[in-house]
Amino acid sequence: MSESGPVKIGKGSPEDPVFVGVGELPSGRYPQRSFIGDLTLVALRALKDAQMAPRDVDTIILIPNLHSFNDQADLIFSRLVEELGLNGHAKASFMVHSGGSTSDNAVRVASGLIASGHARTVLVLQCERWGSANLAEMVTMLSKNGIPGEWELPTGLQFNAIGALITRRYMHASRSSPSDMAAMCVALRQWAQLNPNAMYKGKSLTVEQVLASRMIADPLHAMECPMLADGAAAFVMTSAQNAAKRGIRATVRIAGSGGCVSHYSIGQEADLAVLGWPTAAKRAYEQSAWGPKDADFAEIYDSYAAVTAIAVEGLGLAEGGEGARWFAKNSTPGGKFPCNTNGGLLSAGHTGVGGGMALLIEGVRQLLWRAESERQINGCERCIVGGTGGSYMDAQVLLLERVASGVSA
Amino acid sequence: MSTAIVAAFREGLERGELLIQKCAECRKLNMYPRYACPFCQSENLHWQRSTGRGRLHSFTVLRMGAPEGFEADLPYALGVIKLEEGVQLLARLLPDAAGDWGSYVCDQAVELAAPPTTQPQYRPCAWFRRSNVSR
Ligand SMILES: [Zn+2]
Repeated sequence: MSESGPVKIGKGSPEDPVFVGVGELPSGRYPQRSFIGDLTLVALRALKDAQMAPRDVDTIILIPNLHSFNDQADLIFSRLVEELGLNGHAKASFMVHSGGSTSDNAVRVASGLIASGHARTVLVLQCERWGSANLAEMVTMLSKNGIPGEWELPTGLQFNAIGALITRRYMHASRSSPSDMAAMCVALRQWAQLNPNAMYKGKSLTVEQVLASRMIADPLHAMECPMLADGAAAFVMTSAQNAAKRGIRATVRIAGSGGCVSHYSIGQEADLAVLGWPTAAKRAYEQSAWGPKDADFAEIYDSYAAVTAIAVEGLGLAEGGEGARWFAKNSTPGGKFPCNTNGGLLSAGHTGVGGGMALLIEGVRQLLWRAESERQINGCERCIVGGTGGSYMDAQVLLLERVASGVSA
Repeated sequence: MSTAIVAAFREGLERGELLIQKCAECRKLNMYPRYACPFCQSENLHWQRSTGRGRLHSFTVLRMGAPEGFEADLPYALGVIKLEEGVQLLARLLPDAAGDWGSYVCDQAVELAAPPTTQPQYRPCAWFRRSNVSR
């Protein structure tokens, strides 16, 4: 069954929603930075990248933070309208939330608003302060949110255990070894060396180091678990017509999108080594009329290596059961099929809901040919973006393609 | 958690029974229990006692970073159990004879067990052990 998806407008249509700019602040531990300050600065970076000013924006979509409910209230209640000087000018400012897949759903919302004429230019903003937050409080929060209180909370489930349940089943089903899984972490770390915004830039990693690190939740070692980080990211979308009118020559459009929400509780996932990826991929490929062989690279949520190994199989990039080995072999810098070129959540830093956002804007940045030269994929035109939220409740796929001078490059 | 279905499920656990919700209209089993049948939307829902037999879909041993209130339980193991009735749930796993969980593997047969007496605090959740292990 094919889903209708977001409002689908053909390539070359004046109302085709397109990305025109992205902005990002470095991920890591930055106690001196502030939440509203980072949101303001990252908004201005994205607007500058889009050759726009705040007054060019009529709608702001906020990606939630997980570090503070008080800060969340500032997102919900339009503080950024005031910070950016858009009082009386902005039509709407609101939050969208589906955990780690929020960025994918925010793209769908922004696209629908633009295509239907409810918005002309949408600014999407995200900031997380996990790296500077109280770790014990964050662990407690992550052990309650997204876990059914009636049925699973009494077991003592928490986020690393959820990642471990998926990793164990994936390793069993695919006969992947601990070294196979660790090699994915090493590949991500190699990308992080080329990303000035990555938390682990300047810190090398080997398979031996991963396997020698402390066991946290069998079979996950400490260095296979994501490090909580501060970070901020933003992007700007407008209609193809408006981009052309403004003289913007390179944009990125959405060729198709597909999603599958396969569970809420980790205990109710039918197959922890498959998740929703095959269904989401099929829906996205049907809508776009392109397939895995048409993509030049991918940016896929990677809070644990197995999550991404499962995704590359479901997306048809790797043969069934070969996801982890395929990734380590092909997706490194200089490899046949680059993946997670910012270093991913595991090496750029886990900025909460921002982890997916960082991957998404890295995909757009690469397609706009604006990544730093040492990691820019030369001449890239098509990217698969994959996201997932909560207890890996969903698989979200966005198929992005570069459009230059009003026509697809 | 004061709703009737949660209370009934937990009272079952205290008696050593794992209860599966059964729809009186379409006869389908619901796990986890629901407030209306997700198959036919009926609110006429009853209970069926599970045989307690199933297969271990996946499991983990948490060694660090317990949620607040679970620190004294560490290390402890969690597993996703596929019951022979065709429904599934997350449960705790009893350690094997060596005091760890080294003998557990995915897809092996498991069965409902009583919580271990060494457990520092009663938890209203199901416990399972390997079927071929005598205690
Ligand atoms: Zn029913």
